[in-house]
Amino acid sequence: MSIIEVKNLSFVYGIDTPFEKKAVEDVSLSVDEGEVIGLIGHTGSGKSTFVQMLNGLIKPTSGQVLLAGRDIWEKPKEIRNIRFKVGMVFQYPEYQLFDDTVYKDISFGPRNKGYSEKEIDEKVRNAARFVGLSERLLKESPFDLSGGEKRRAAIAGIIAMDPDVLVLDEPTAGLDPKGKNLLLAQIMQYHKQRKNTIFIVSHSMEDISRIADRVMVMNKGRLEMLDTPRNIFAQVEKIESMGLRVPQITKIMMTLKERGVNLPDGILTVEQAFFEVVNLLKKEGKI
Amino acid sequence: MSFISVENVKFSYDEDKKNVLNDINLKIEQGEFVALLGHNGCGKSTAAKLLNAMILPDEGVVIVDKMNTSDEKLTYEIRRNVGLVLQNPDNQLVASVIEEDVAFGPENLGVPPEEIRERVDRALKTVDMYEYRKHAPHKLSGGQKQRVAIAGILAMQPTCVVFDEPTAMLDPNGREEVMNTILTLKQNGITVVLITHYMNEAVMADRVIVMDKGVVLTEGNPREVFSQVNLLKKHSLDVPQATELAYKLLGIGLKFDEMPLNTDECVDYLEGVLK
Repeated sequence: MSIIEVKNLSFVYGIDTPFEKKAVEDVSLSVDEGEVIGLIGHTGSGKSTFVQMLNGLIKPTSGQVLLAGRDIWEKPKEIRNIRFKVGMVFQYPEYQLFDDTVYKDISFGPRNKGYSEKEIDEKVRNAARFVGLSERLLKESPFDLSGGEKRRAAIAGIIAMDPDVLVLDEPTAGLDPKGKNLLLAQIMQYHKQRKNTIFIVSHSMEDISRIADRVMVMNKGRLEMLDTPRNIFAQVEKIESMGLRVPQITKIMMTLKERGVNLPDGILTVEQAFFEVVNLLKKEGKI
Repeated sequence: MSFISVENVKFSYDEDKKNVLNDINLKIEQGEFVALLGHNGCGKSTAAKLLNAMILPDEGVVIVDKMNTSDEKLTYEIRRNVGLVLQNPDNQLVASVIEEDVAFGPENLGVPPEEIRERVDRALKTVDMYEYRKHAPHKLSGGQKQRVAIAGILAMQPTCVVFDEPTAMLDPNGREEVMNTILTLKQNGITVVLITHYMNEAVMADRVIVMDKGVVLTEGNPREVFSQVNLLKKHSLDVPQATELAYKLLGIGLKFDEMPLNTDECVDYLEGVLK
């Protein structure tokens, strides 16, 4: 069943001013419950505007967002409830930490959602566990944490509201390779257990190709492509013409194929590439 | 004597806390392009701040172009010589017109107006942003903003530019633009220190220095450093995918003269093996 259905969604900034600009133009798609959608596009392609319409932070100029079959703007006064159902983690969310302990900070969302103290406590501890923050840190001030821990605490604050749809805008930007891999693994672990729907915006094609079920490619406000990572990244030229890149390993394998080596399209990981190369070597009796 | 020399430097932000830099030694030659790698908290950014006297060593000395950074009389001259480009382009632009932003540095140095004009034009041409000189910065893409920030540094005619994760917030095109600009600076004889988490950027440097827990873990040219795949992985760093694949193939007995570091080298190598 589709949890989110986007119908002809458009957003125009500064209508009737000289600065009028179409940020999102006629985007339609349907997302099934439990899907992980990767969202890529160059700076200014409309990704952030698009995701902010998913939880009603921005009201579309035209078109609709249906959450579980209902238009989120059906009752504008109740739009606040949508934000508990579609949780949004902004870029550099650590700058939004504010309370004097990590515990209080994470509990802000569930408290506003109206849970009992007991439920709040459970949600906070679960969320902290999901993102790999130890119990000990819950008593600390969020400002005493390391950069990676702060990022995790901020994400836990959203997860604690137990949203059906989680939107992450560049969750790994600025983290080192280890922090990045760890955070992605934790998000995927959370996804496996909670089986919720995830939108993840990223400039890292390597990350997107590893975790997304389907990839949305946005270009100049339009949804240019929507397909599996394998099919998306097989189209090197088209991706590059939109100011994006395919993962390095994909590029290597595609170039070899062009030069006449017998390889399949859309190889996305080093493991896959290794497997294919070893296969070829075996076939030719070279190892 | 090296252009930049960091000798036995110790540093901590708080007297009671442990050292962020623990007896570190670095030597960087004039015109060299050095990449500084290491996980978050390893002391890379602190090391960068030492180079333009933003912070001073608790112990040891930092010498830049024969000037000791601890000598307060030289602070101004050192900062003119060593420019710093940071992660977030939005935090680095101050004026509402691009050419005014680029002129901010030389104006404050008291450069005569005609010369400022010349320097601003030249700096904007170097980063390939000259045609945008009358535009407002907030309308630019991330990569363009970063290039304007770099032009602002160039207009002060530095001998060295330190980049602290300049591409972390940029899209793939923006990253490529900034890396091309960095290579242009190097061609113009400017010493470049690049702090980055992107291994594909580090492989473009003349020399790579890997830091861990406030000390230098290993250094060498990119091929020497990235050949040590196990060491890097152990210290939570990555290698380029091209190198990782070659390393895996090495594990099953394939041989090569040189460890491939980028797309082209890996393709050439594999073509030789597979065809």
